[in-house]
Amino acid sequence: MSRPPIASLKTSILLLLAASLLSAAGVFWSHQQDTAARADLQRQQTALNAAHTRQQQGQTEARLITQHLDAYRALVAKGFVGEENRLAWIEAVHLANRDARLYGLTYTLSPRTAAQPALAGGLPLKQTRMILKMPLLVETDLPRFIEALHERAPGLFRVSSCRLARITDAPPQPVNRPELDAECEFLWFTVAADTGTTQ
Amino acid sequence: MMFDHRLILLATPRQIGVLDWRPGHMHWLGEFAASEAGLAAFRQVLVKHAQLPVLLVVDTVDEDYRSEILPHVQGHARDELLARKLKQVFRNARFTGAWRQARETTGRRDDRYLLAALTDAEWLMPWLILLHRERVPLCGITPLAMAYQHLLARLRVPAPHTLLACRLNNSLRLSYYHNGLLRFSRLIGSDTPTQLPGNAADEIAKTQLYLTGQRILPREARLHVLLLDPSGQLDSAQAPLNADPAFSTRLIDMPSLARALRIPDSFLAATPEIAPLAAIADESVQLNLAPPELLQRHIEFRWRRGLNLAAGIVAAAGLTLTAAYWLNTQDLRDQALRIKGEVQRGDARHAAIVRDFPALATRPDQLGQTIALATQLSRSPLDVNALFLPLGQALAAHPDVIVKTLTLQDTADGMADITLDARLSDFDGNYRAAMARIDSLVSRLAATPGIAAVERVTSPVNTASTATLSGKTSGETRPEETRFTLSLQVRS
Repeated sequence: MSRPPIASLKTSILLLLAASLLSAAGVFWSHQQDTAARADLQRQQTALNAAHTRQQQGQTEARLITQHLDAYRALVAKGFVGEENRLAWIEAVHLANRDARLYGLTYTLSPRTAAQPALAGGLPLKQTRMILKMPLLVETDLPRFIEALHERAPGLFRVSSCRLARITDAPPQPVNRPELDAECEFLWFTVAADTGTTQ
Repeated sequence: MMFDHRLILLATPRQIGVLDWRPGHMHWLGEFAASEAGLAAFRQVLVKHAQLPVLLVVDTVDEDYRSEILPHVQGHARDELLARKLKQVFRNARFTGAWRQARETTGRRDDRYLLAALTDAEWLMPWLILLHRERVPLCGITPLAMAYQHLLARLRVPAPHTLLACRLNNSLRLSYYHNGLLRFSRLIGSDTPTQLPGNAADEIAKTQLYLTGQRILPREARLHVLLLDPSGQLDSAQAPLNADPAFSTRLIDMPSLARALRIPDSFLAATPEIAPLAAIADESVQLNLAPPELLQRHIEFRWRRGLNLAAGIVAAAGLTLTAAYWLNTQDLRDQALRIKGEVQRGDARHAAIVRDFPALATRPDQLGQTIALATQLSRSPLDVNALFLPLGQALAAHPDVIVKTLTLQDTADGMADITLDARLSDFDGNYRAAMARIDSLVSRLAATPGIAAVERVTSPVNTASTATLSGKTSGETRPEETRFTLSLQVRS
């Protein structure tokens, strides 16, 4: 074909340009729509997978709740789960002291801190360090007092250390007078309530 | 081709016939005399078929053919070579053309050309002027003999030397084809005495002599003559020609021709002049006598058609792609909608499950963990009562040991450290005996079940040679001088 007579082909050239532009616009627009629809489908697929996961998780949680709810509620009632109840603790100490027939005691509670991660195992486990000082008549008063405290104290606690010291160097006398000083350190454990919990 | 709709014009000095042709379909639009009225009517036809390309087939006695062997060149050099040759051969003829028919197989392998010209085309000018005025895209001007060449191809004539004798419009055209390619043609007009059958045979014989004399036809070649005459007037020429061994003559009947051209018999019988036009209609113009300026409209037409076709293809492709994307989009949306419904149903099922969950201070998956932790913490590692038991048994066996302080320490590995600070109840200054009594206590403790290790931390007398030892021997003894410290590791 010879050199094109551009001047007389303006209409055809414009027609070709218009067709090209419209085709390109149409293809671009439809491709955008297609891409958006594909992305939306992907989102819906992800949402569906999440819904399936949630549903399975819900069923698992329902089974776990059925299995552990009673024991868990017992722990809540005991004060292991939730905020620490220092007032109940003081009352328990007083009662244990009375029940063990001791001669009074002094206590010091440190601020509540997070327990060691290795012990907590991912739970919001808190610990409160407590130091109790008390006079004793004989050594066996100490385990009796600890036993009495276990029965009354809220939450769970462990004896970290104890120190018994003789008050006088005199031989034991058959009178009701304390001859030993005891100083024990306890760790009081509680699990903080998880605010982001499942309803 | 689907866009090959065109008009084929058959122009003679007396009239012009018009065939409206497209693949598989043709329509004879009539003949128009070379008069004012004929031109006007012809113009109406052109207006009615505006924008259709036109091929002009001319049938005139004023034509000339020349075979030439020219060097094989290409491109612009060929154009210049042919232009010079045409100018040289046909002088001032305006309508000339060259057709490269074949290439020699020996020697320099030159090209063999057929040069042709309309030596007098004055009668054609009114038609051409009209075509130009109506802006008709003229795709070419070609002699009728070229149309007959394609007719011959349709008839599948195998002979190498063929002379086609056609009688049309009271004129006899004799065209010679070598291996199916036109080499020479002449028209014997109606004013010559060829109407008699014997004269036709004579004209054919004279033509054979001319071709032989011009060395166009080899002397020893036998000429295969095909007689084509719808009126049947050439039939009688067959016998005298076949009597001559230089000829083999065959009549072409109308049904065979109609079959070869795939057109109805009746249509061909009514308008026999369409035969060559139908044969050349879908062929490219090999021998074009039109000067370039007359082809300008057709060049524009081809560009315009190409551009419009490209626009159509682009639009169709764009539309197809757009539609495909759109349909796919609809499908994806339907899928997304269906999945959305499934998500909503799944969420509803989940909500129904969790609706009955009790209020908990922890996540359900941490319930068991919390319970396990509580169980673990409940097992106190430092059981004071259990620790006192083995210690009390050992001390009961050594009433002379007075405990000053006792320290229990949880080491959190299932063991507990006990530090025992004590003294002996009576001391007479005999350190050796005191150390023996302490050693006895240590031995007993070490042998007691539950006690893993016993270590003496301090003694009344440090006899190690690395330490500084001081004291006095005043004669007085004090029990405090027997203080010692033991460290025990006990399994809790």
